[in-house]
Order: sequence, then C-alpha cells, then structure tokens
Amino acid sequence: MRKSHPIRRVVLATAATVSGVVLMLSLKPASDPNAEAAGGTAPQQSAAAQESPQGGAAGAGSGTVDGAVVQTQYGNVQVRLTVSNGKITKADAVQAPKGGTSDQKTALAVPKLNQEAVAEQSAQIDSVSGATYTSTGYKKSLQSAIDKMKASAGASQGSGSSQGGGASQAKTVTGKVVQTQYGPVQVRITVSNGKITKADAVQAPEGGTSDQKTALAVPKLNQEAVAAGSADIDSVSGASYTSAGYKQSLQSALDQAGG
Amino acid sequence: MTTTLAGGRAARRQTMRRIRPRRSPATALLLAVGAGAVGVLWLWWHNTPSIADNNGKILNAGRITGLLAGYLMALVVLQMARVPALERRVGSDRVARWHAMSGRYTLSLIVAHVFLTMWGYALQAGKSLGDIVQQTIDSINQLPDMGKAAIGAGLFVLIGLTSIAPVRRRLPYDTWYHVHLLTYAAVFLTFWHQITTGNDFAVEPMAKTFWYALYGVVTALVLWYRILTPIRLNLRHRMRVEAVIEETPGIVSVLIGGRKLHRMGAEAGQFFRWRFLAPGMRFSSHPYSLSAAPRPDVLRITVKAIGDHSARLRELTPGTRVWAEGPYGAMTAQRRSRGKVLLVAGGVGITPMRALFETLPGASGDITLLYRANTTQDLALWDELAAIADDRGARLMYAVNSPDGERPDISAERLKQKLPDIDKHDVFMCGPAGFAQTVYEALRGAGVPARRIHHESFEM
Repeated sequence: MRKSHPIRRVVLATAATVSGVVLMLSLKPASDPNAEAAGGTAPQQSAAAQESPQGGAAGAGSGTVDGAVVQTQYGNVQVRLTVSNGKITKADAVQAPKGGTSDQKTALAVPKLNQEAVAEQSAQIDSVSGATYTSTGYKKSLQSAIDKMKASAGASQGSGSSQGGGASQAKTVTGKVVQTQYGPVQVRITVSNGKITKADAVQAPEGGTSDQKTALAVPKLNQEAVAAGSADIDSVSGASYTSAGYKQSLQSALDQAGG
Repeated sequence: MTTTLAGGRAARRQTMRRIRPRRSPATALLLAVGAGAVGVLWLWWHNTPSIADNNGKILNAGRITGLLAGYLMALVVLQMARVPALERRVGSDRVARWHAMSGRYTLSLIVAHVFLTMWGYALQAGKSLGDIVQQTIDSINQLPDMGKAAIGAGLFVLIGLTSIAPVRRRLPYDTWYHVHLLTYAAVFLTFWHQITTGNDFAVEPMAKTFWYALYGVVTALVLWYRILTPIRLNLRHRMRVEAVIEETPGIVSVLIGGRKLHRMGAEAGQFFRWRFLAPGMRFSSHPYSLSAAPRPDVLRITVKAIGDHSARLRELTPGTRVWAEGPYGAMTAQRRSRGKVLLVAGGVGITPMRALFETLPGASGDITLLYRANTTQDLALWDELAAIADDRGARLMYAVNSPDGERPDISAERLKQKLPDIDKHDVFMCGPAGFAQTVYEALRGAGVPARRIHHESFEM
C-alpha cells in the first residue's frame, strides 16, 4: 500500500508518452532508405526530361471526351470535356449528385470545378470547400477524361511521327494491372527518346478513404516517376499499398518500353 | 445467540490445506501487456518507411496514439470482464484501480488521436489548424465508419467526464454506472473505423486478424463472465433473503439462503456483488463481503448503513429474491505465507476479518484479531468473535476511543509491545483508507515486510 501520487503519475505518464512518440517519429528518415539506395544504382534522369510530349503534335485530338463515371457517397459524377487542338476548351458534369443538400452543393461546386478544369488543363484543381466529395469524384472523372484525350492524341501523334520518320519517338506504354487490397492500379507512361516524359495512373483504388489516398498519392507518384525515370521511387506515406502497386505497374511499363 | 453462525469446522476443513502462498500473477500480466504494446508500436514502425514532413509527423503521431488507444481500450474492457484470474488472484480492488488508471490514459490517447489526425488531414488538404472543426465534419461525411467513430468518441468523453472525482461524487451511483455501461457501445462504434480506415490494418492482413482476435476474445470473456456465468450461478443456487438482523445501531446482517451454496466455491475473505430484487434496489448491485464462512444453506453479509443502498437493506423482507455475482476478491487464506496471522479490522471492515478469523487454519495462539471501532457499542459481532476466540484459542483485542474522544495509539511500538513477534506474522487488513494507511505505516515500522501485508481497498 504505497502512497499514491496522482499528480506525479499524470506528469510521468504524459512525459513518457509524448517523448516516446516524438522519439519514434524523429527516428524515421524523411525518405525511404531502401528506395534511395536502389535509386543510387539506377540510372538517374534529369528533370529536364519533363518536357511536353505534345510539343509538335498540334492539331491532334478534337471533339468531346467523356470521363469515367465515379461513384461518390452522394451519387455519381461524370465529366465531359470538349477538346480542341489538344486543349480543354470546355468542361461539364454530365452527372452530379442530386437531391437534398446535394442539389445546392452541386449547383455551387460544379461551375467552379468546370472553370478550374479549363484554366488548369489538368486534374490538379482545388476542391470546392463544402463539397469535397463531389470535388474528389469530379477530379477523378476529369483525370480519366484527360487520360482518354491524351491517349487519342498520343495515338495520332505516334502515327504522325512514323509517317514522317521524325526524330521524336514518343510512345505510350501501359503497364500491367496490379491488384492491391483496395483495388487495381495501372500506370501509363509516355516515353520519348528513352525517357519518361509523363506518367499517369489509368486505374487507382476508389471508394472510402481510398479516394483521399489516391488523390494524395497518385500525383506525387506520377511526378516521381518522371523525375526518377525508373520504378525506384519513394512510396507515399499513408498510401503504401497504392504506392507498391503503382511501382510494380510502372516497372512492367518500363520493361515493355525498353523491349 | 441467534445471530451466531457456527459450523466453522466444516468450513475450516475446506480451507485447511498446506500453507502455500500463491503469487499474484500481476507482474506477469503487466509484462504481457507491455509486450503487446511494443508489438503494436512495431506494427506502426514496420509499415512506415519514412515521414516526409511535419504534416506527416502529425499524422503519424495520430496513428501511433490511435493504435495504442485501440489496443488499450480492449484491455480496459477486459479488466472489467470479471475474469476469475483477475478477480481472485490479482484482486478486484487492484484490478479496479488498474481499470481507472488505464481508462484515463486511454481516453487521453483517444482525444490526442482525434486532434492530431484531424489536424494532419486539415494540413494535407491545404488548410490550417483553425479549420480542424470543418475538417472533422468533412472526414465524418467522407470516410467510412467515421460517423460511428465520432459518436463513440463523444461517448468516451462523456464517460470520462462523469468519472472525474468531483462529478462522480455528486452523481447518484446508478447514473454513473449506467453511463459507464455505454462504454460497450462506444467501443463497438469506434472499432469499425480502426479496421476500415486504419492504414496498418489495410496493409497488414495479419494485423487485422490479430485485432479481430483481440476484440473477439475480450467480447467472449465479457459475455461469458459478466452475463452467462451469473445467470448460471443464480439459476443453480436460487438465493433469497432469509432474515435481517440488527447487530449494532446502524449495522445490519442479512442472511441469504439458497441451494448448495458451498458449490459456489466462495472462501472466507471474499465478497459478492449483490442485487436485491426489491423495489428501488433491483437496478444496482453492490459489493459486500461475507461476514461468516459460507455454509451449504446460508451466507451472511454484514453492512453498515452509510449509503442510500445500504440503508435500505434494513427494510428487506424475508423471501426477497437475491441476484449475486461472485465470488470475487483475493484476500483469502491463499495469500498467507506464514503460520502466524494478525487480522486488523477497522469499523465495518470486520466483515471479511470475521470470516477469516473463524476459518484460517492455525493452532492455538497463531491467530490474532485487532478490532478498531469508535466505542465499544460499535464493536459489531463482538459476541461471535469472543466465542470463536474461545473455541480455537485465538487472541482477540480491541481498540476504541477513550471516553473523552481521544483516538487509541496504534503505533509500531505499541503493536510490538502487544505482539512481540509481529514481524513473523502475515497481516490481513480491512478498513477505511485513513485507518489502513496509519496501520500500514505502523506495521512497516514494526518490521512487517510489505509483501506480507494483505490489504483490499476500493478507494481509487
């Protein structure tokens, strides 16, 4: 029956917990050591490889493109793009959540998102606060529409360069589909002069937290793939599963491009 | 002597076994709990290759606190599952104190987890700490099972608030207890978001299996020991109030009859949680020690009317149905390591001591009982104690206030003077916290090692 010291116990427990957590956090490196070591041996490509593959392909790809239907908790979202000369000239939501507060949110969010899509020419647009779910769905559908648009542009570009026998050997390679626990991941890369100029995820996990994680992780992974020029890229913390699938699919795409 | 319960011989035979102290499994259990915590932290370590920036640090701190909270939450519930190994070997009082301590700690972890995770998500979405409320609402709307988790976290905070000492003192016991029962709902509600949004469980199927196993085992133990075991016990023994006897002003004994009561395996020094199915009493159960060795046909509790519930016991009519859960408590003959035993009782703390005094095996002169009360009128059960002392050649001493109200001197010197070989004794003690503290210090001063002072206290 020792005397109890409640205050002392509270202070001790708090100090021990806080210092334990801080210690563990500070022992973790800022980037994955394994990936770094592997990256050292792999041929590094300069960031200058990040130039637009669409440079000489003016005139390729006009008309409308529909993105994938993305299911959100409130309803489906589907984006339709009007494309002219490889540029997005108009963006619309063919489907958007309806009913209850969703009407209000859709009315508020969709015009903003349409505007941003045209302005940014990419799916990296800001979410509309208060309509995060619709925004996330919109961005994903937009991304898939852009993927389709680029794919058709790439195809016409590919045929054009083979006709002209030009120096630019840009081609699009799609990696194999890798099944993760959250859903399939598939990477498509555009390779020009043996360098990755662009990387996209054609498929990525959807639904639940996966939407958030995908939205967070995929753009980073795309960027890293272009920067590294190889599949030795860092995993995105908090989305290790998607990252692993992405790297595998990327590797298979690189294998195809090399062969 | 209508109140005397003889029949000590049969009971003494039951406890008459070789003195073989059983070590409390507390240390081993604490080590196992610590190893589990290390495993949980390893899971995080293993699944986290790197942390890029401060935002990542905040999110990962949220993950660590969340993982630990999820682990400890299961153990906090387990501590109240009335598992015999905990109730009878470690001791109900000690387990209750662990429960209170780890409950407070777990609640702090939950609050830290919610705050850090929402802060981290807000930063990730390009917002600042100020948008944490909006971020929380967004997350509840967007993430699976997060609405449930939010309700569960709210319940945990409510349960925590009603358990803060000053609040709890002002609340009726029943209110506090029923709010506390919401813990089960809160644990259920918060469990699912751990599985569906927890990074470590998504990435590591083994971890998910382990988590299901942990919560599954705890659920099974709670169902078994808190629900099925009491139902079986009460169906088998069918207890009813047989008589209510006033021992001294303010102290009553309740005799409880039933079938084959010796089969419950209760020992002197243990208690049951009693629920009397009488108007106004059926919704709460209270722990009272047996004040006599259990007999096949009757059990006895002796209670001082201090609270609302104990005051009502006086009005119980014979024939009232009784619902009991138990036996619980580790302050039994099993704790004993020496031939000689000193029992120290303060006030109504005499109840378990009275049962032990009757049944502890020992030769003439081995057993001594020191009984402290305010006045000689307050020495409940005194005639019985005197008869037992006579019968088995045990020593019986009392200490009361002097006529002018001065407290008796219970000091190391005085104890040594009365019992020169006190340092060769095992001491069992039961009484109010202040009294127990005084006696404990006196005993330690008189050379009794701490491990041989056996004390049960339900003060938190």
